[in-house]
Amino acid sequence: METSIGGPRQWLEATGAMLRFCFRVMGEVYGLKVFRYFGEALRQAGILILSSTLVIWSLIFIIGLQCGIEGAYFNRSVGSPAYAGVFAAWCDLRELVPYSFGYMMAAKVGTGIVAELGSMRISDEIDALEVMGVPSMTFLCSTKLLAAWMVLPFVYLSGVGAGFLASYLAVVQQIGEVSSGGYQLIFWAFQNPPDLLYSVIKGMTMATVIVLVGCYYGYNASGGPVGVGTATAKSMVVNIVLVHIIGMLGTQLFWGANPRAPIGG
Amino acid sequence: MMILTGKTLVSALRPPYPYGGEFVSQFLFALKLCWFPLLISTVAFGYGAPGLQAANFLVLFGALDRLGGFFVLASIREFAPFVTAIVLAGVAGTAITADLGARKIREELDALQVLGVDPVKNLVVPRFLALMLVTGLFDVYALLFGIFGGIVATLVNGAPLGPFWATFFTNASTVDLWGSVVKCTLFGAIIAIVCCYKGMTASGGAEGVGRAVNQAVVVAFLGIFAFNYVFTQTLLATHPEIQVIR
Repeated sequence: METSIGGPRQWLEATGAMLRFCFRVMGEVYGLKVFRYFGEALRQAGILILSSTLVIWSLIFIIGLQCGIEGAYFNRSVGSPAYAGVFAAWCDLRELVPYSFGYMMAAKVGTGIVAELGSMRISDEIDALEVMGVPSMTFLCSTKLLAAWMVLPFVYLSGVGAGFLASYLAVVQQIGEVSSGGYQLIFWAFQNPPDLLYSVIKGMTMATVIVLVGCYYGYNASGGPVGVGTATAKSMVVNIVLVHIIGMLGTQLFWGANPRAPIGG
Repeated sequence: MMILTGKTLVSALRPPYPYGGEFVSQFLFALKLCWFPLLISTVAFGYGAPGLQAANFLVLFGALDRLGGFFVLASIREFAPFVTAIVLAGVAGTAITADLGARKIREELDALQVLGVDPVKNLVVPRFLALMLVTGLFDVYALLFGIFGGIVATLVNGAPLGPFWATFFTNASTVDLWGSVVKCTLFGAIIAIVCCYKGMTASGGAEGVGRAVNQAVVVAFLGIFAFNYVFTQTLLATHPEIQVIR
C-alpha cells in the first residue's frame, strides 16, 4: 500500500503541482470563463444543497451541544454559571463551528469530489470531454468552485445558527443553571458582527481549499479502482492538516492581537 | 454494522488467534501514516483554539497563569481525544476503507472465503484491535503536543511557564486522564468498525470504492461526535470532583 509520506523533494514537487492546478482553476473562475457553463455550476450547487447541507448542520449541531455542556460545567466550576454564554459564544462562533464545518466539508464534499472526478478519469470520461472540445478543467473543476462559493456562505451562516441553537438547548434547557434571558444577555454581549464576518472568512477559506484539493486529487487520479480509493484517502489527509492550519492562522490573524471582548481596556 | 461489531468481538476472543502478524503490520501502518498529520493538527489546534482564545480572555483579567488549569479541561478532556479521532478517521480509516474496498472489488474477499479463510477474523479483527490500541496511545501523544501548543501561546503572551505548570498540575486528575484514554480507545473502535464495514460492502467498480471512502468518513465523524457528547456528559455528571478548579 502506498503512503503519502515521501522525501522532501517529492513534497515540494507535489505542492508545486497542486498550487499550479489551484491557481488555474481559480483563474478560470475570476476570468469569468466559467460562466459559459453556468448551468453546470447551478447543477453542482443543487447537488451541494441537497446532499451535504443536512449532514453539515447536524455535525455543527452536535458540536454546539458539546460547547454548551463544557461551557456550563466550566463556568459552574469557577463559580459563575450565569456566564456560560461567554464560553458558548466564543467556542461556537470563533473556533468550533469553522472547524467542524471544515471537517464535514472535507469528509462529505471533498472526498465526494475525488470519488466522482477520479472515476471519471479512470473510465476516460475526462479525455472524452477534451476530445469533444469541452475544456474539462473549466467544466468540471471551476464550476464546482463557483458552486461552492455561491452556496456555502449561506450554508455556513445557517450552520452557525444551528450551533447557537444547540448551545442554548444544552446550557439553558439541559443543564438549566441560568435563565434564558440571562444566558442570552451574556451570549450576545460577547460577540458582534465583525466576529461573524471573520468566522465566515475562516469557514470560506477552508471550503475553498477543500474543494480545490478534492478537484486536484480527483482530476489527477490514476491506477484503476484502487487508485480512486487511494486518491480519496490521500485528499483527506491533506485536507485535515490544511483545515487545522487555516483554523490556527485565522485565529492568530483575527483575534490574536485583539480579543474583541467587551471588558477591560 | 452492529452484526459486524458482534462478529468481530466474538472472533477476536475465540481461539485460534491467527491474526498476530497482520495486527503488528496494521499497527505500524497506522503509526507511520498518522504521526505527522497528527503532530501538525494538535499543535495548531492547541495553539489556536484553547491557547490563543483563552489566553486573550485571561490576559484581560491579568490571570494568564490560569491557562494551565484551562488546558486540563480543554486539552485532556476534549480536544486531544477529539483531534486524534478526527485525524485517525481521516487518515488511517480512509486508508483501511480504500484497501478493503479495493480487495472487495477485485473479488479477493470472496476468494479468501472460498479458500476457507474467514475475512472477519483475518482482516477485520487485526484492524479493529490495532486501531483501538493506536488511537489510545496517540491520545497521549496528542496530549503532549496539544499542551505544547498551549505553552507556545503562553510564551507568545510573554508570560513565564512556571505558573502554567503549577495550575496545570494542581488541576489535573487521574480521572481526567483515564477518561481521555478510554474515550479515545472507543473512538478507535468506532472508526475501525465503520471503515471496515464500508470497505467490505463496497460495490460498483472504481466509483464504488471512492463512494465507500466518502460514506465511511462521514459516518465515522458523526459517530465520533455523537459518542463524544454522550461520554463527556456521563463523565462530567458521574465524577463531579473533576470539575472543581483548584
